[in-house]
Amino acid sequence: MANTETEAPGASQVPVTVLTGYLGAGKTTLLNRILTEQHGRKYAVVINEFGELGVDNDLVVDTDEEVFEMNNGCICCTVRGDLIRIVGGLMKRRDKFDGIIIETTGLANPAPVAQTFFVDENVRSKAKLDAIVTVVDAKHLPQRLEDSHEAADQIAFADVIILNKTDLVTSEELAAVENKIRAINRFAVIHRTERAALPIEQVLDRGAFDLKRVLAMAPNFLDNDEHEHNDEVTSVSFEVENSIDPEKFNAWIGALLQEDGPNLLRTKGILSYANDDRRFAFQAVHMIADGDFIGPWKADEPRISRIVFIGRNLNRPRLRRGFEGCAVA
Amino acid sequence: MSQSVAQYLLESRGTHRTLEAFVVAACFDRAGSTAAFALGDGTLRLVTLAERETWNTVEAHDGAVLSLAPDASQTGFISGGDDGRFRRIDQTIADFRSKWVEHVASHPGEKGKGALIACTVGKAIHLYSAAGEKLKELPHPSTVTGLTFDARGKRIAASHYNGASLWFVNAKEDSPRRLEWKGSHTAIAVHPEGDAVVTAMQENALHGWRLSDNQHMRMSGYPAKTEALSFTRNGKWLATSGAESMVLWPFFGGGPMGKAPIELAGGDGVTCTRVAAHPQQEMVAGGFADGLVVLAEVNSSRILPIAPPGQGGVSALAWSPDGSQLAIGSENGFAAIIDLSKR
Repeated sequence: MANTETEAPGASQVPVTVLTGYLGAGKTTLLNRILTEQHGRKYAVVINEFGELGVDNDLVVDTDEEVFEMNNGCICCTVRGDLIRIVGGLMKRRDKFDGIIIETTGLANPAPVAQTFFVDENVRSKAKLDAIVTVVDAKHLPQRLEDSHEAADQIAFADVIILNKTDLVTSEELAAVENKIRAINRFAVIHRTERAALPIEQVLDRGAFDLKRVLAMAPNFLDNDEHEHNDEVTSVSFEVENSIDPEKFNAWIGALLQEDGPNLLRTKGILSYANDDRRFAFQAVHMIADGDFIGPWKADEPRISRIVFIGRNLNRPRLRRGFEGCAVA
Repeated sequence: MSQSVAQYLLESRGTHRTLEAFVVAACFDRAGSTAAFALGDGTLRLVTLAERETWNTVEAHDGAVLSLAPDASQTGFISGGDDGRFRRIDQTIADFRSKWVEHVASHPGEKGKGALIACTVGKAIHLYSAAGEKLKELPHPSTVTGLTFDARGKRIAASHYNGASLWFVNAKEDSPRRLEWKGSHTAIAVHPEGDAVVTAMQENALHGWRLSDNQHMRMSGYPAKTEALSFTRNGKWLATSGAESMVLWPFFGGGPMGKAPIELAGGDGVTCTRVAAHPQQEMVAGGFADGLVVLAEVNSSRILPIAPPGQGGVSALAWSPDGSQLAIGSENGFAAIIDLSKR
């Protein structure tokens, strides 16, 4: 069935969904929905505390989050050592899983999880990050954002945001909290839910991390070029119509991530390289970057290169000039 | 040419099967009478060498087997699985439920005394008598990633974050010697003479400690992670995987500090994934990511191909105690026993 030779490269990599969110936001409820719904698929679920999970068909792996710093000269490069071991172990029984779901603890910073899937060669070859899904509580999110960095980080990293417990707030409060989320991360898909009820295909197998979505997002034409000097997480995106020179881009992005990596939570881009008919997908978590061609541009598709930054202290004019400077002269 | 030699050896001297699951580990019992393969489908496959065409299947774990070792006695095996069980063939020694039993080890003791078995679960080593009676639980600051007894069975060593820990198994009060080095250590070996501990690290390098004077040893230059570490019998060489050849570091003449390693069986551009030093002679078996298995004589650098490429990356390699039999396993489920005894 699987593993036929006609499959595209990467098709044998198991998709990994990372589930983040504060305690009480509804992560466990969502996880239980995923695990009990009749979807005919089998998942391995990596959790930190053996809770009240209704598990029949799926494998639950109990782990301690063990974050360590890589000695690779990258000051913000932390990875989850436990996940390296667990993914390695699960791959020995790979044919039995359609996907891996990793639940993080409430206060977890998502960066080490995401970076694990870039940094470790064995993990990269066997598994790929499908999406980071963040569950937030519509009622308590504003307070959480006041209290801590982590709440904003979890939203910043998200590809999919489950805005849960909408029944506990007024429509005005809901609109306000959604605006707060958009101010941090305008690129994630937001689903409003009560009791984390939504079709699970909105959560799993999104292919969100493979960046195809970046191109579909509206750019922020209305942004003014002000440099925001504050600690708030924001997101910006830029477009270039001319083809990109790969050498210029690599030199620019390499230096930028090196210098400003701690502030740049996530960077994603779809690039049209000169003399290449394929779309190049680029992404980074802090300083750790990765890129690959993801198939050809369609004949009728405008070959616009786009890049997205989500982070703190984003210097919008400087980023814009830098990206525009990568275009072929 | 070398491929046809290997094919010939495999067919004329080997018994092999294509099993349906990843071969996680292989080993022989202490008597050298039976080989065992541990698989990702939870089974062990046992082959009595006297009847090597009969492969018996034992349903050992509900999930994948994660670790395998010979039992402390002359026959039998111990295993750990992702079902949380620490087992003998026909007996569950301990059940850790949702925690994985990632490493197991045993030692036969000396003069019929002090035989031990051990497993790791998360941050702890669980140590048992050979009869399966729990003796102690040894805690570590983070998850244990590698486990081994020293040659005499007096100490047990574990790798973990920021170093390794060395415990005297018979200590009245358990306090380990902590060997510190920042980073994630992912495998461990103890020198046969007991004076050096070496770990593999996440950053494609090895780290070592000489116990007599706390001298650090750094061995780097690997393009991939080292997963297999194996000292030759006399401790002269440490054979390692993780490069496009077998890399052997000299543990003599002041080495490995300031000495270059030797590289054996390189040149194909394929990563070496497993090494196993011969238990009697200065020879090392090496397995590669394309399935090739070779035997290399250290001093002459002579190479004998034993199994041809094409069967999946080599994931298990083990010698029988007398060094006459080599067990091979691959990620694709290829498993073989090659008889290298004189005829």
